[in-house]
Amino acid sequence: MASEAVFVLPGDQIDPSLIPSHPKKALRLGPGLRHVPPNDILPTLAGQLITDRQKNAIRVENAGGRYQPRAGELVIGTVHHSAAEVYYVNLSDYTTPALLPQLSFEGATKKTRPVLAAGALVYARVALANKHMDAELECVSSSTGKSEGLGPLTGGMLFSISLGMARRLMMPKSVLEGKIAVLEELASAGLQFETAAGRNGKFWVDSESVKTVIAVGRAVQETDEKRLDVDAQKKLVRKVIKELS
Amino acid sequence: MPREAEPSLSERTFVTQALEEGLRVDGRKFDQFRSLELTFGDEYGVAEVKFGKTRVLAKVSAEVTVPYTDRPFDGVFTITSELSPMIAPSYEVNRPSMEEVLLSRLLEKTIRRSGALDTESLCLIAGQKCWSIRVDLHVLTHDGNLTDCACLAVVAALRHFRKPDSSIEGETLTIYTSAEREPVPLSWLHSPFCVTFSFFGEEGEQILVDTTWLEEQLRVSTCTYSINKHGELCQIAKFGGAALDAPLFIQCATGALNRSKELTDLVERKLADDAKRRDKGGFMAELTAENDR
Repeated sequence: MASEAVFVLPGDQIDPSLIPSHPKKALRLGPGLRHVPPNDILPTLAGQLITDRQKNAIRVENAGGRYQPRAGELVIGTVHHSAAEVYYVNLSDYTTPALLPQLSFEGATKKTRPVLAAGALVYARVALANKHMDAELECVSSSTGKSEGLGPLTGGMLFSISLGMARRLMMPKSVLEGKIAVLEELASAGLQFETAAGRNGKFWVDSESVKTVIAVGRAVQETDEKRLDVDAQKKLVRKVIKELS
Repeated sequence: MPREAEPSLSERTFVTQALEEGLRVDGRKFDQFRSLELTFGDEYGVAEVKFGKTRVLAKVSAEVTVPYTDRPFDGVFTITSELSPMIAPSYEVNRPSMEEVLLSRLLEKTIRRSGALDTESLCLIAGQKCWSIRVDLHVLTHDGNLTDCACLAVVAALRHFRKPDSSIEGETLTIYTSAEREPVPLSWLHSPFCVTFSFFGEEGEQILVDTTWLEEQLRVSTCTYSINKHGELCQIAKFGGAALDAPLFIQCATGALNRSKELTDLVERKLADDAKRRDKGGFMAELTAENDR
C-alpha cells in the first residue's frame, strides 16, 4: 500500500500527483470523495487522503461519523429480533437493522441452526451493502463453508469505540501501521483475554476475570479518546497493571 | 423509524456480574462521582455543566411582563427544558418524552416550588409590571444522571445571572441598560441540588451514584433527593421500581447532603473565580482610555 498521508478539508484542491493513474484499471473513488464532471475530484470529508496506487484507488479516512456498512467488513451486531428466515441485527444505534439469514452459519441446516435470543451478539461479515437496501450479513464464508471465527459471541462485554479506532485495531499490522500497542502490551503483561473488533465501532472483550475485561476495555477506550501514541499506551498499560495487582 | 438503543444480553449480564463483584464498567467506585466541569459563559446567566459525557447548558433571560392576576405581587419564573434530537434521534421535537416530563417536573419542584428564587422581589409595580425570569435548559449530550446535571446547571445559571437595574420615581418605571447602571443579581434564598441514587441487584442492595446511561438502563430502581447545604429536603422522587428498606433510604439522604454541600462549595468557588475574571479593577479602570498598545 502506498502511504502518502495528506490532510484534506471538504472542497480542497487535490494535488494531481496524489491521484493515481494506472494504465489499465479505472480510478476508484472511496468514501469522502466526489467526482465533479468533467474532471475534478473534490473531498467531501475532512481527514487523511489515502492513495492506493496498486488498486488505483483514492479515499478520505476520518475517525468520526456514523457507520455505514460496506461489503466485506467485519462487524459486531446485536440481534434485535428474529423473523421466519432471518435475524434482524442492529449494527449501530438508531439505524435500520441489517439482515442475517438464519442459515448462514457454519453447518447450519433447516434443522440445526443456532437459536439467537434478542440481544445476543454476533460477529459477522457484511455480505451485501447496497445504497437503498438493508445490508446483509453472513457468519460463514460462502466459498469455503467455514465460519472463520465468525458467529455468536457469548459472554464478555461490548465497548464502544470510534470508527477510526476500530479501523486501526483491525489493520493486519495494527502495531506498525495503526500505532496500537495497547493490546499486545496488556497480553505480554500476563493478562489473558479474548477480543473481537467490529468496523462499526464496537469492541468485544472476554476473559475469565471481570477485572481483566474492564481493564482491557477501558485501556482501549482511553487510547481512543485521548489519542495516545505508542509510548503513552505503554505507560497506560503499566498503570493499568499496577491497579490490577 | 429510530428506535431506542438497548444494551445487548452480554452487556446486561456483564454489568450485573461486575456489580456483584463490586466493580463498575468505567472503573469508578460505587459512591464515586464522575469528574465535574462547570463553566460560565461570557454573558451573565449562561452555565454549562459536564458530568463525564453528559453535557447540559442553561441560559437565563429576563423581560418585563404583566404579573398573573391572582398573584399581583409575584414575578414570573419559568424553567423550560428541552430534550432535542441532538441527544439521540429517538427524542422528537414537540413531543415530550416521559423522561423530559419527569425532568421538568423535578426541576420545577426542586427550584421553583422550594422558593429558591424570591419571586416577590421580581415585582416592579404591583399588578402591572413584573420581571419574568426564564431559564432555558438545553441538553447537549446524555450519558446518564441528567437530573443532577440539569439541576446544577439551572442553579448555577440563576446564581450567575444579573438582571437590569430599575428604579421607580412616582409613576414612571425606568429600566437601565448595563452601561448606565451595573445589573443586579437575583434575590436568591437557597441553593437546592438534586442527587440521584440508583439501585441494582435483586433487592436493590447495590447503591450507585452518578450512573452512566448504560447503568441507567439496567437499574431496578432510582431515587432523587433535592436537598440544600443546610439539610433541608425540598423533595424526594421515587417513581416506582423495586422497594427500598428504610435504613437505606436514610443512608442515601445523608449521602445526598454531603454531595449537596460539595456542590454548593463548587458553585461558590466558580462564581468567585468568574467575578474575579470579570473585574477589570474598578470603575476608573473601566473608564480609562489606555490600552495595551
